[in-house]
Amino acid sequence: MSESHWGLIALLAAAAFAVRLTGLIAGNAIRTSRLAPLLDDLPGLIVVSLVAASLAGQPPATWLAGAAALGVAWKTGNVVATMLIGVAIFAGLSLAGL
Amino acid sequence: MKQGAIAILPLAFGAAVYGFAFGLLAAQAGFPWWGIAMMSGAVHAGSSQIVAVEQFSSGSALLGAALAGAALNLRYIGIVASLAPVLQSLPLRLRLLAIHVTGDENWALTMAERAKNPAVGAAFLLGSGLVMIGVWTTSTALGAVLGASLPDLERFGLGFAFTAAFIAMARGLWEGRANLLPWALSFLVAGILVTADMPKAYAIVCGTLCGLLLAQLARRRGSAEV
Repeated sequence: MSESHWGLIALLAAAAFAVRLTGLIAGNAIRTSRLAPLLDDLPGLIVVSLVAASLAGQPPATWLAGAAALGVAWKTGNVVATMLIGVAIFAGLSLAGL
Repeated sequence: MKQGAIAILPLAFGAAVYGFAFGLLAAQAGFPWWGIAMMSGAVHAGSSQIVAVEQFSSGSALLGAALAGAALNLRYIGIVASLAPVLQSLPLRLRLLAIHVTGDENWALTMAERAKNPAVGAAFLLGSGLVMIGVWTTSTALGAVLGASLPDLERFGLGFAFTAAFIAMARGLWEGRANLLPWALSFLVAGILVTADMPKAYAIVCGTLCGLLLAQLARRRGSAEV
């Protein structure tokens, strides 16, 4: 494990605990403040941007598999099922030479 | 405590499957199984870990990867705040332990059981949380053991598993039509910027900020009309 692997674990652990601690100390004040809707919106927007960043510049097969994964996610709401079926479709399309 | 530990088992099984899949991916990003176990025990937040590891493996700066992961966990501010009446009986040390072992599953179960029976409280939360963090740590480590013994999974499209996981997370975070335009704008901005060769981390920040701005404007207009 390199220094940066250690660094990621340490930073992420510190940040995750800081979020929980913020909830313990100031959670109620934040929930009733004007910041609350922004904090609600943030995770969804980050995830959507992550999806866009990972699809941008990829071949049509990746986009197709992405659309299929969206269908599975919509129907099942299950992360693992979406990953499994998504990867299977992606692999199938790649094998088919798309 | 025992009551919570037993009641959480069916939910823990679901987390274990997800944990195993995450461990598999993380091993491909160069984490040994014990490094993954350490991360899972110290961070204890599935979606944060998967986002941070993906950003890390795609070459983003450390701080950016950690912040992206942590930002996904902001809902814990509300989750922990809602636990105030459950936690007030605990000494500080146990309170800090309780918030660390609190995850979506055992929080939801504790709140649901407490609504039925007010005697359900901190012990139930701690018991179920300790089982969750134990199962999460173990299952991610096991996934990493398998992941390390397999050849380069990237060839079989394992990288797409991250994308699929993000898509599923987005589904979970979808709250209705008010999300549509801000999400579409974030998607477009991030996608166009990456296509134009902007580093992914910056493109993701720009996409997110544009979406936030639009959501805020829409809220202002909405409240002005009411």
